[in-house]
Amino acid sequence: MELSESVLKGLQTLADPNVFDLKSFTTFTEVAFDSLDSSRGESVLGHPELRHIDQTTLKHCHTAATTFILEGVKQNADKSTISSCLEDVRFQNERVDTFYNSFQFIYLFMLLSTDTCPPHITDAEWRLEYCIKNSHVHKVNQPSYLISLNTERAGASSEINFSCTMDQLQDLVGKMKDAAKSLERATQS
Amino acid sequence: MLLVLSEEHKEHLGFLSEVDPAVVGEFGRIAVEFLKKGSNPKIYEGAARKLNVSSESVQHGVEGLMYLLTESSKLMISEVDFQDSVLVLGFSEELNQLLLQLYLENRKEIRQILGKLAPSLPHYHNLEWRLDVQLASRALRHQVKPTVTLKLHLEDGAKRSARVLQTDPATLQHLIHELERALAELKSSHCRRILRNIK
Repeated sequence: MELSESVLKGLQTLADPNVFDLKSFTTFTEVAFDSLDSSRGESVLGHPELRHIDQTTLKHCHTAATTFILEGVKQNADKSTISSCLEDVRFQNERVDTFYNSFQFIYLFMLLSTDTCPPHITDAEWRLEYCIKNSHVHKVNQPSYLISLNTERAGASSEINFSCTMDQLQDLVGKMKDAAKSLERATQS
Repeated sequence: MLLVLSEEHKEHLGFLSEVDPAVVGEFGRIAVEFLKKGSNPKIYEGAARKLNVSSESVQHGVEGLMYLLTESSKLMISEVDFQDSVLVLGFSEELNQLLLQLYLENRKEIRQILGKLAPSLPHYHNLEWRLDVQLASRALRHQVKPTVTLKLHLEDGAKRSARVLQTDPATLQHLIHELERALAELKSSHCRRILRNIK
């Protein structure tokens, strides 16, 4: 894994027991990983248990640690890669283990959340109506469907609403079934 | 149900009895044309000159016909009712028959045009789909994630729009299941009873 000078320096500082004693290191690791998987996490800066460390150094280490984690996740780095990187910057074995344990959890989370893609459909709701008349035409007497597709993108959800006749809905469902059948065939071969 | 024509309307249509039935036929054709494609005031001038009357009379006559056709089509009145409604104008039998023919031939299309004026949501036009397997993204490499990309084409009046959406295989199955339930609902006895009885 290729890491920049700045990241390596930050990790070296993190490894240094004179700057981070074991307790501070553990707290730091927890907070650093938390900051990646939820924006609600506490901040490293001004954290009560890390106040004794110089804030600029703390910030540098935090950047280095999160960059390292993100690179590792991106490349799907295995235990030996992570361990050897950390050992190179003189992490004690205990610290390597602590770090790697948290790393495993974050991997799954990243897999599910960091994606740029079109809005993802999560559900479909429907309503069947029978239109009797409107202000322009009387005696319409036609059934119609109102479909609402719930979509999500980067945590924000929205809806796509449209109407269709029975024939159109049959067309829509038919095409979806074609897609599903193709998917099944592709996974079987 | 009888059509109730206002005095003003009757007056405008009264002009039609003063001209040749062939001309009324022509006016009828123009009225339907205007309903389909929008009105063109220049036609009134030309016709007025040929008939030696004011262009305003021609305009009232044609617009009167248009209104007669749209109201009759909107209410979907029967042949008998149409004839009775027109009777009050005191036209000749030939003229009445002409108007009736005009109504019967064009009412379906006029209803379609009127239907487009009603408030509505964009409606479904087409669905395109594509199967993808996501292998990597900027943030994460080494993935194998099957996804279905959909392009939903919608139409709103004259505007067409397309939305690109994505879903996973499990959700696709769920969507199919839900929408099939929706289709099945139309065939249920409850719906059939309603469709049969409200006509």
